This record gives sequence, structure tokens and C-alpha cells, in this order.
Amino acid sequence: MRVVVRTVSELCVTVGALIVLFVAYVLFWTGVKADTVMDDQIDQLQNQWSQGSVRQPKVTAGASAAPAQPAPYLSGKPFAIMYIPRLGFTWNKPVLEGTQVSTLKKGLGHYANTTQLGQQGNFSVAGHRRTYGDPFKDFPRLRRGDAVVLTDGTTWFTYRIDKGPYKTVPTDIEVIDPVPRKSGYTRPGRYLTLTTCDPEWGHSHRLIVWAHLDSTQPVEDGKPVALRR
Amino acid sequence: MYGWIWRHLPGNAWVKAFLSLMLVVAVVYVLFQYVFPWAEPLLPFNDVTVDNQ
Repeated sequence: MRVVVRTVSELCVTVGALIVLFVAYVLFWTGVKADTVMDDQIDQLQNQWSQGSVRQPKVTAGASAAPAQPAPYLSGKPFAIMYIPRLGFTWNKPVLEGTQVSTLKKGLGHYANTTQLGQQGNFSVAGHRRTYGDPFKDFPRLRRGDAVVLTDGTTWFTYRIDKGPYKTVPTDIEVIDPVPRKSGYTRPGRYLTLTTCDPEWGHSHRLIVWAHLDSTQPVEDGKPVALRR
Repeated sequence: MYGWIWRHLPGNAWVKAFLSLMLVVAVVYVLFQYVFPWAEPLLPFNDVTVDNQ
């Protein structure tokens, strides 16, 4: 009898300790890991850019009139850095190609089937609301007119938020269409969509914001106005 | 269970305590490195996309 009681209580203590450890892992450790990994990704990008191996737009013969089409992004690799002043002046995250679970652990993920940065269409990006550095924790604070600034090493792209945060269901894939449904946009343009989960710790809904490309400038001209203090 | 481990560790009480500590560290390491990364995607915090890619 005593052995049974002892074993059961030991098991309870063990399970309790496991749960506490797991919560610590999810709340704290994923953030620590993600911060390191994201810093690595940004360093990697900046090294790449400083060595001049920026992805040059591919100039195809006879297509000089059409806007240059950039080279495709490599799946799981970073290609841009995003800045959103509303989420904090020091808030900056790498943007990687693809939205696989493993990719989203390293930064924000670009939906592979959506357009490229600054191009005609809808450049769509997903990010964690909670865990893995909480990149989009303050997503509901985004307002119309807020800047979303991205750089790919050659150009600064400043998008301005037009609508959001808009709450929808996970199956609503029209929100990342080239002309997103419910966004209020009626004509094709250069748009940006950010998606994350809602509620903070749940997965029943998604939060969306939409933005349009407001301005671009070469990196040689310095930071865009939205990032100047 | 814990009593059984304690009795089977070699050395005096100090050595046993040290070895137990090492065991705990090893278990936590395995959990954080292998078990939790496997278990975490089973929870809903990863669903941030609209098309479940």
C-alpha cells in the first residue's frame, strides 16, 4: 500500500514538474532561441548585402520596357528586413521565404505563392503572435496610416496600412489574393498583407492588416522618413 | 522511483547528490532539446497563416 501511494505521488510530482518545464519552454525559451536565430538571420542578410551580392534584378533581353523581375526567393532563406515603428522603434524582423513551421521559427514568413516585394500584387507575410519571440504580439495596435517598412538590401519599401486589424477565420484565403477581398481595394496595385493568429494563444481566428506601397527609395538615400526619429 | 535511483547511485551522500543533480540536468537538456521542440507544434500557437501551408 505504501509503495503504491509513494509511486503515485512521485508520478504526480514528475508530471507537475514536466508541465512547469514545458510552460517555461514555450513562454521563455522559444523567445530566447528565436531572438538568437532572428539576429543571426539579420546578420546573415547584412553581411550578404555589404559584400555586394545583392540579388540583382534579372535583365532579360528585349524586355527592357517591362519592369525588371527580381530573382525568385530561396525557400527558407531570409531576403528582407521588416520594420514597423508602431510595434517599437527597435522592432525589426527578418522576412524568410515560405510559411512552414520551421521557417516561422526563424522570422516572419512570406507566402510563397504571393508576389515579391514592391511588385504588382499582394506581398503577404505571416508571423507568430506569441512564442518564438512574439513578433506580432502588439498586432492589434496597428492603425490606418502606420508605416510598414521593408528593405531588400537595395531599396527601401514603405507601405502604409489602409485597413485593419481585420478579424477573420483561418480558411479565408482570399485575404492574400492579389486584390484582397474585404480590404476595400478595388483595383490591382502593390499591396501588402500581414497575418497572425487571434486570440493571442489560440488558433480559432486570424488577424489581418492591409497596406499599399506608398514610396520606395534606394538604400543610398538613407533611411525612409518613417524610420527617422 | 526516486528512492530506487538514490539507492543505486554510488558513493556517499555528497556524490549521490551531485550525480542526482547531473541526472536532472541531463533530463532537462533532453526535454528542451528534443522532446519539447517535438511537442510544441502540436499546440495551436503555430497557426498564423490563412491557408495552413
